[in-house]
Amino acid sequence: MLHLRRHVAILLIAVFTLGSLHAAAAQTAGLVSTESALQADTASSDRQRINDVLARADVQDQLLAQGVSVDQVKDRVAALSDAEARQMADRLDAMPAGSGVVGALFAVFVILLVTDILGLTSVFPFTR
Amino acid sequence: MSFRLPVKPRRLSRLPENARPAGVLLWLACLMILLGGCAGSPALQQATYRLPQHVELENVPFYPQEKYQCGPAALATALNYSPADLPADTHRPGSFAAGVLEADTVKAGAFKADNLKTGNLEVDRPSADSSRADSPGADSPGADSPGADTATPAGSVRDTDITAQSLVSEVFLPGREGSVQPEMLATARRHQRIAYPIRPTFDALLGHVAAGDPVIVMQNLSLPAWPMWHYAVVIGYDLPDETLIMRSGEIRRHTLSFGRFDATWQRSQRWGLVLAEPGRIPDGVTARRAVDAISSYESLHGSGAALSSWRALTRAQPRNAMAYFGLGNASFHQEQPQNAIQAFRRAVGIDEELGVAWLNLGLVYRQQDKTARARRALEKAAALPGDWQAKARSALDSL
Repeated sequence: MLHLRRHVAILLIAVFTLGSLHAAAAQTAGLVSTESALQADTASSDRQRINDVLARADVQDQLLAQGVSVDQVKDRVAALSDAEARQMADRLDAMPAGSGVVGALFAVFVILLVTDILGLTSVFPFTR
Repeated sequence: MSFRLPVKPRRLSRLPENARPAGVLLWLACLMILLGGCAGSPALQQATYRLPQHVELENVPFYPQEKYQCGPAALATALNYSPADLPADTHRPGSFAAGVLEADTVKAGAFKADNLKTGNLEVDRPSADSSRADSPGADSPGADSPGADTATPAGSVRDTDITAQSLVSEVFLPGREGSVQPEMLATARRHQRIAYPIRPTFDALLGHVAAGDPVIVMQNLSLPAWPMWHYAVVIGYDLPDETLIMRSGEIRRHTLSFGRFDATWQRSQRWGLVLAEPGRIPDGVTARRAVDAISSYESLHGSGAALSSWRALTRAQPRNAMAYFGLGNASFHQEQPQNAIQAFRRAVGIDEELGVAWLNLGLVYRQQDKTARARRALEKAAALPGDWQAKARSALDSL
């Protein structure tokens, strides 16, 4: 896996280098994009770009592992901004996933009933 | 667990029968108050009390959640509403809570500090483009592929039947039995809406609702030890009663006291989201969050789709230098170099230290063969210490 990543990285470096040459030659005038102007660290923007592509690949793998269907996964990853993709690559497992009101264990039930009555939680709709 | 109940059974037996459960309950109550803090009502700014006393966006539709799927339900609820549906009698205040507006006059220097603090590192676009470039080809030719959404120019087509069920495949994670926050933003984007995270305060929440925008919020209904994460949509409030009105789970009109809601909301760091179609900036969004949100939208749908939002942002926040910077870039990519020059000049007029705007101004001048002006702008950029100095110098050398 590590090996594969290294190959991908080398390939990406080549692609980006060629890509930037092309961009300079074209009519784009090489303007700094708004998104990259918002970033804090530009010192290693090429490395960042590579990390970014790898992050997206990571997210795609993770989403597939979480049961997202193959024909959906590319669109879902594409809709993420770079920052969001990186967040998800880094800590999807630790991220809260909103799923709503689902059954709780009985022991927890009693505690939550008390905290509900105290107004600290909102598990049971009948406590106001 | 310092109960010594079994040790002294004789003393206990003299106690009234229900003393033990009552004691346990009391002990738990004390513990929870210690752990969870006080569930009193959140302190509000004076300006918030000047908002309309009672607001309810009754026209916000309701999509009840099915098993675990509050994320798709909350999104469907918000996506199927646009403030044009606002009933005429709903009071719409002219101004947002004062504290929220102050944040709009942020200089670009503050952006970076904000960036560093949140660890929110943005990167160059081309990487994303390259990962995206291969998606249309790899897509199955199915007509119902949501890739069709991203291909349509923003604002031209409004999806008419977004249902909670149709969003499941876009935002629900079967393995987690839930939906994560970044994908909530991304899914709104796929449906031609720009998702603006709100300032994490109760005042901002009420301000947005008063301004006519329902707010998608994330709560932890339970305790941190047994989290029960939940997305709901705040559609109204009653200030004298200190009650919020929400579309939540399977309840169409769920009311909740400010205190109880805030106790559950603060566990998500008061995460909230307002959606707006391109060209409209919701009242009260902060400068930094607005620029970020529009920039993310632009990355997905292209500069043509974002242009109207950049323009609207410069109108809503005339002191926001980065808004003009974004407008300049989008204009340039839409082959309007004169508008781009104008926007970049406004950006440096607001913040003379915004090196990246000087740099882009110089590059556009250079592309327009206005060498003298290009040199002047690039010299400014090269003189400013910062990330873009090196690029400005090399551009100067190549003049």
